[in-house]
Amino acid sequence: MTTVDATRIKRQHTARLRRGDLLSTVVYFSVAIVLAIFLADGGAAYFTNIRDLATGVGIVTGLIGSDLLLVMLLLAARVPIIDRTFGHDTALAQHRKLGKPVLYLILAHMTLLLIGYGITSGFNPVAEAFNMIATMEDMGLAFIGMALMIVVVVTSLIVVRKKLPYQFWYLVHLLSYGAVLAALPHQFSTGMMFADGTWARYYWMAFYVGTLAAIAIFRVILPVTLSFKHALVVSEVRVEAPGVVSITMTGRRLRELKGKGGQFINWRFWAPKLWWVSHPFSLSAAPDGKSLRITVRDLGDTSHRLLTIKPGTKVSFEGPYGIFSEAARTTTKAVFIGAGVGITPIRAMLEDPLLKANDATVILRGTTAQEVFLWQETYDLCVAKHASLRVLVGKRPRGVATWLSAEAYSSGERLSTLAPDIKHSDVFICGPMQWTDLVVREAKRAGVPDHQIHAERFEF
Amino acid sequence: MRARSAFFAGAGSVAILAIGWQAGVGTLLSSLPTSAPVASGPSASAGNATGTGTTGTTSNASSSPSTSATAPMASAPMAMASGAADGTYNGQTINTRYGTIQVNVVIAGGKIADIVAVKLTDQGRESVSISNQAAPMVRQEVLSAQSAKVSNIGGATYTTQGYLRSLQSALDAAGFTG
Repeated sequence: MTTVDATRIKRQHTARLRRGDLLSTVVYFSVAIVLAIFLADGGAAYFTNIRDLATGVGIVTGLIGSDLLLVMLLLAARVPIIDRTFGHDTALAQHRKLGKPVLYLILAHMTLLLIGYGITSGFNPVAEAFNMIATMEDMGLAFIGMALMIVVVVTSLIVVRKKLPYQFWYLVHLLSYGAVLAALPHQFSTGMMFADGTWARYYWMAFYVGTLAAIAIFRVILPVTLSFKHALVVSEVRVEAPGVVSITMTGRRLRELKGKGGQFINWRFWAPKLWWVSHPFSLSAAPDGKSLRITVRDLGDTSHRLLTIKPGTKVSFEGPYGIFSEAARTTTKAVFIGAGVGITPIRAMLEDPLLKANDATVILRGTTAQEVFLWQETYDLCVAKHASLRVLVGKRPRGVATWLSAEAYSSGERLSTLAPDIKHSDVFICGPMQWTDLVVREAKRAGVPDHQIHAERFEF
Repeated sequence: MRARSAFFAGAGSVAILAIGWQAGVGTLLSSLPTSAPVASGPSASAGNATGTGTTGTTSNASSSPSTSATAPMASAPMAMASGAADGTYNGQTINTRYGTIQVNVVIAGGKIADIVAVKLTDQGRESVSISNQAAPMVRQEVLSAQSAKVSNIGGATYTTQGYLRSLQSALDAAGFTG
């Protein structure tokens, strides 16, 4: 039994690694193909004399920039294979990582072509910009696209540093679709790389159409149809602690919804002053085919309105997303470490049938005993799974960067004493950002390989 | 990424680039002005190269030089200093990535007296403006060099090369040997 499960987990892990390598390879190939098309079209000619050099490099940066921009869009498009392979958060982290390089590539594209074409026509680059807008097809739009792109990347960088509210970022981010669409025409009308009749044109068209279709399908059509199909309605709101409620939703044909405990869903509650924002919350119970449950803490923003939500409220959703679930397992043993509401996805994961008796270690943390949310349920599941359970209650010590409570810290407890077998376990960590980072750091120090560490950080 | 996959991705990318490079070399060679004279059969007949074996020329950039190897220069009967009779000779239509190019050459007194651009690259307005600037420059160079073998105009490689190929075919039709 255990060996069967061990094989299954191992196979699932290998398959995920293989998919990951395959997808990464596709990205490398896409860059290579784009360059190959350029070369096949005689692009090397640009590099044979100094006067064409700027134009040549400008074209190449534009091509690579466009290619990676589409990769960025796909990474954020909630494509199931990407989500199941890398996880939602990793995919979005990659998306963010590409933001600046892509902006620089496209800025270089613009600047170099202004210089290159300027040399040919005898204008300085600024005059050449006006010349291009006046004389070439779709260039006005292309410059608008460039401006939009700068706005999107700059606001994203600022929001990540938390100077702008999330909703503002969201609205501005919608402009990125405008940027891509505005830049699209000039690539096909003026950009000779996509000239009529060349197969490069069809390759790029397929790439663009495919990407836009993926966005339309996975970000719009699928969530809308699933929301209509399941017609979720709030059925119960239970107060777990002051400022914390569990919301249970029922709906039609929920057996067909492929969700796993620990995954998250973007929820939209159709109640006054709530419907216009969607909230990402993890499932706090494994879906049982009849209902879905989340546990929500008042974080001060619109989420405090969720505490008083009425049964009967209609709910639409996008998801489930993420691989903070059994999908990330690499080995049979697992250590779960949760703090506050971070306990709730862990509680859902404890229901995982792949998790066998004696294989789990559960470490829970709360500043007060009341903040060990879903305590009773979690305790019962730990008993059922013969899991080793440790609860660390109390404030963290002052002046020490630790994720432990002061009491546990001073009595010499460490990750390795709380979970002796951690090196050979999957470690699932869920809690506030900084706390989670501290746990991850200690897990790495304890010798846990990176691929066994699965962390979910909340607070946007 | 695991090492084996990284190797595969790297090697595959290099292979894709190599294929592109190889294809590109062919494209470039075929769009360069052919140094071997382009003869078009019994050319001098009407001095109209487009009317003879070169109609609807498909010397598209990618389809390699198809016309260059037809026949070794059979010099036209009329022998002036340059071997060319006076008159206007039409050049071939050359396809480039930026559209087709065709020029006519006016031979007077055995010399290249003028070149008239019948059609210049016109796909995209940028290439129109490039053409309009490059063509007079090439024309001037040809008139002073009395040959289609002149240097390239930077930034207008395709236009220049198409122009010179069309011109060379017209000169061949004229039996112009420089």
